[in-house]
Amino acid sequence: MNKRTFLLWCLCMFVLITASQAAQLVSVKLPPYTKVQLKNGLTVLLMEQREVPIVSFNMIVKTGSVADPKGKEGLASLTAELLRKGTRSRTSEQISSALDFIGGDFAMNANTDYTTSNAEFLKKDLSQGMELMADITLNPIFPQEEVTKLIAQRIDGIKSAKDRADSVIGRYFATYLYGTHPYARAVGGDELSLTSITRADVQRFYEANYVPANTILAVAGDFNLTEMRTMVERYFDAWAARNPLPVQITPPSPVRGKRLLLVDKPDSTQTYFYLGNVGISRTNPDRVAIAVVNTVFGGRFTSRLNTALRVDSGLTYGARSAFDQRKAAGPFLISTYTRNAATEQALDMTLKVLSALHENGISETELSSVKQYMKGQFPPSIETSDQLASTIARLEFYGLDESDINSYFAKIDAVTVAEARRIIKQYFPLDNLVFVLIGKAAEIQPIAKKYAPVIDTKSISQPGF
Amino acid sequence: MKRMKHLCRPLLSAVILLAVSLASTFAQEDRDYGVRTHQLKNGMRILVQEDHSIPNIALYIYYRIGSRNERPGTTGLSHFFEHMMFNGAKKYGPKQFDEVMEAAGGSNNAYTSNDVTAYQDWFPRSALETIFDLEADRIQNLNFDEKMIESERQVVASERRTSVDNSNFGILDEQLSAAAFTAHPYQWPVIGWMVDIENWTMEDLSNHFRVGYSPANATMVVVGDVTLDEIVRLAQKYIEPIPSRGLPPKVTTREPEQIGERRVTVRKFAQLPIVMAGYHVPEAADPDYYPLQVLKTVLFEGQSSRMYQRLVDKDQLAISIQGDYSAAFDPTLFGITIRPKAGVQPETAEKAVYEELDRVKSALVTDRELEKAKNILVADFYRSMKTIDGKARSLGTYEVFFGDYRKLFTAAASYSQVSKEDLQRVARKYFMDKNRTVATLIAEKEEPAK
Repeated sequence: MNKRTFLLWCLCMFVLITASQAAQLVSVKLPPYTKVQLKNGLTVLLMEQREVPIVSFNMIVKTGSVADPKGKEGLASLTAELLRKGTRSRTSEQISSALDFIGGDFAMNANTDYTTSNAEFLKKDLSQGMELMADITLNPIFPQEEVTKLIAQRIDGIKSAKDRADSVIGRYFATYLYGTHPYARAVGGDELSLTSITRADVQRFYEANYVPANTILAVAGDFNLTEMRTMVERYFDAWAARNPLPVQITPPSPVRGKRLLLVDKPDSTQTYFYLGNVGISRTNPDRVAIAVVNTVFGGRFTSRLNTALRVDSGLTYGARSAFDQRKAAGPFLISTYTRNAATEQALDMTLKVLSALHENGISETELSSVKQYMKGQFPPSIETSDQLASTIARLEFYGLDESDINSYFAKIDAVTVAEARRIIKQYFPLDNLVFVLIGKAAEIQPIAKKYAPVIDTKSISQPGF
Repeated sequence: MKRMKHLCRPLLSAVILLAVSLASTFAQEDRDYGVRTHQLKNGMRILVQEDHSIPNIALYIYYRIGSRNERPGTTGLSHFFEHMMFNGAKKYGPKQFDEVMEAAGGSNNAYTSNDVTAYQDWFPRSALETIFDLEADRIQNLNFDEKMIESERQVVASERRTSVDNSNFGILDEQLSAAAFTAHPYQWPVIGWMVDIENWTMEDLSNHFRVGYSPANATMVVVGDVTLDEIVRLAQKYIEPIPSRGLPPKVTTREPEQIGERRVTVRKFAQLPIVMAGYHVPEAADPDYYPLQVLKTVLFEGQSSRMYQRLVDKDQLAISIQGDYSAAFDPTLFGITIRPKAGVQPETAEKAVYEELDRVKSALVTDRELEKAKNILVADFYRSMKTIDGKARSLGTYEVFFGDYRKLFTAAASYSQVSKEDLQRVARKYFMDKNRTVATLIAEKEEPAK
């Protein structure tokens, strides 16, 4: 049982410490990698890391749940999981058995922006692993019985998730915050949308989006560059070239004013809440400075939020804030939970900490601490070949290059107290806020109207989010 | 600019090759596998593994004290104490432990189990001496401030509400252990009963510190950009002056043999039911530990495992099924958790699980299943050793639970010796009706009135 787990969502970026004597955290540099394009359009990124006999893969199909048709939310996610449920030459069970036998895994997962999987094989199992990956990606047949089975499982999975407030509050928040924008849709769909998805929908989605020109395959680990290139060609050349459907994500607009959604969960002894607004995209030029400020505000154990709500008052086990960075602007959110009777006190305190950030900015002491902290915590996020494969695949997806990472420490160092003030004013919402509360309505409904003129209510048992 | 070698870990390569080849002979007794050890005069043992792939260090300190050392009335004290270890000592007062560590680029966490309390620090090399200063201060001079105790009591109450009271799995798991153990302290939750959380006293905390936090009761594991010499030098400066005290009283209670199935029911507001079953199985040091781990893998690991194939894929009785069996100091539980599908009676899913258990008792598993399980265990092993943090955790686990870190490196060989007949033997020995406790959460449409 882990007692101080504190989720740091503030940062999702990987670098490599260079410097001959690295005691001083002075610079970072991503190891070199090569980019090649197969004739069918597949983008391949290769990074040799020869010290351990392991090869790591990261595949990204550049389409996610934003491409789900209205009313069929969950299609991208369902298609991803169905890939390995049967190919032209293997049954679902045979695929699982073959992957398990080499201690490997390959399971595609969708998020709003893209669909991805990592895979990792011992060097001795490389050919077998790559053949399986290619078979799953190129030759899925989506058997009807597997489609039916998975849809039923997914619906029950959502019901089960709703038995725990903190596993679904993010979905309610996204839906309520984004309104008609595609980021409002639950990636996994809901109890109703899943029932309307057919095998034909899955097949169509696959054909339109699982196209080599729409796919990135990053490989890092123990291989020779030329040999790996030949191997990738051997297994992926058969993938027919097609034009992918272009995915356009319109920039979402932040919510004006204040709105609050209360989700009734009658057995709840704590209120779980998120508040925030539309935040930033992964390519925002201020993202490192924003991460610096957010780490001070709600991105580490000694952050302002955690100090106020946990350390000084004992109201909660943890309070945090995060900017979820995506292709378009993802959510900024503050989240915590507290016992029913303390809901008002915790909400008031959260808003007070947010106001104080706007009034006072951050101090020189906080700034120097957070710079050291962010740089010191960075290297373990690029320790392994799977982390590196994932890193370069995402850079490619967002249209970035290694300079994004190689300039990371310099960007941290460049943040000043004055710059932090600008960041706070520009990116941390104060008067425009969306609230989502999950808890026992009978006890907390009376205080909800204090926070927003618009109040919406739902029951957790109602389908959807 | 010269790039530091990214993954210079010849040791790990050697380990993987060893594991992959599934060497059937045990490695020599005198091998150190690149791990160096040192014993301080006050009894604390130190393990160091150099790994210069990144300029960072993972440092773990394990204290051999957990909820197993508690008594009714003070359940959860070990865990509460773990929280208090961050709330101020002599040189570094309240809040300063975290503030100083983060300002030096480090972060930390800690966890408590039935058996141990472990403290984890992750930091850049430049923070090494600061970390020793911080750790020594709290081991030697922890301060109990009344105000901090009351505030932290609320934090732990919130943690309990979130991990147990508002989690159907948490509630059911707690009920399962409470019913499965009648004598042994594994019967109460690590986080403690709420009423005990509300009632610990300052004296309870002082006693716990005195009993559990002697240097002789601790093991330190350091992995990363360090050398044994510098760790020994710092440990001698900061930790060795701390006087040794005695070890905690031995836990002598053994759970009596179970002589008939026990069943517990929880009724509450929920959309889906849950079934958990627990079988009494031996501690980590027992020779049956390895065959049981292989059997667990055959039954539960991966989508081609027997339980997944039967309950989730073929019969479609459950949305998930999971098996749990971890290293423990004393005989523990092999847990099975089923999430039945909507409309499926929990007992139908339960019955299918017992049929699968009967199948491994009545017929040997196939050669391919056995080999696949061993391959999965080897793959899990190397994944756990990819990072400095994973290495520190694995070395610590084997040192503390198996009595010797070297057993980490011979685990693959131990698994390779397990035969199909061993799996059948342990299945027959432990998966008996009378050795079983079952807890079922029945989903009510409305929350029953209190």
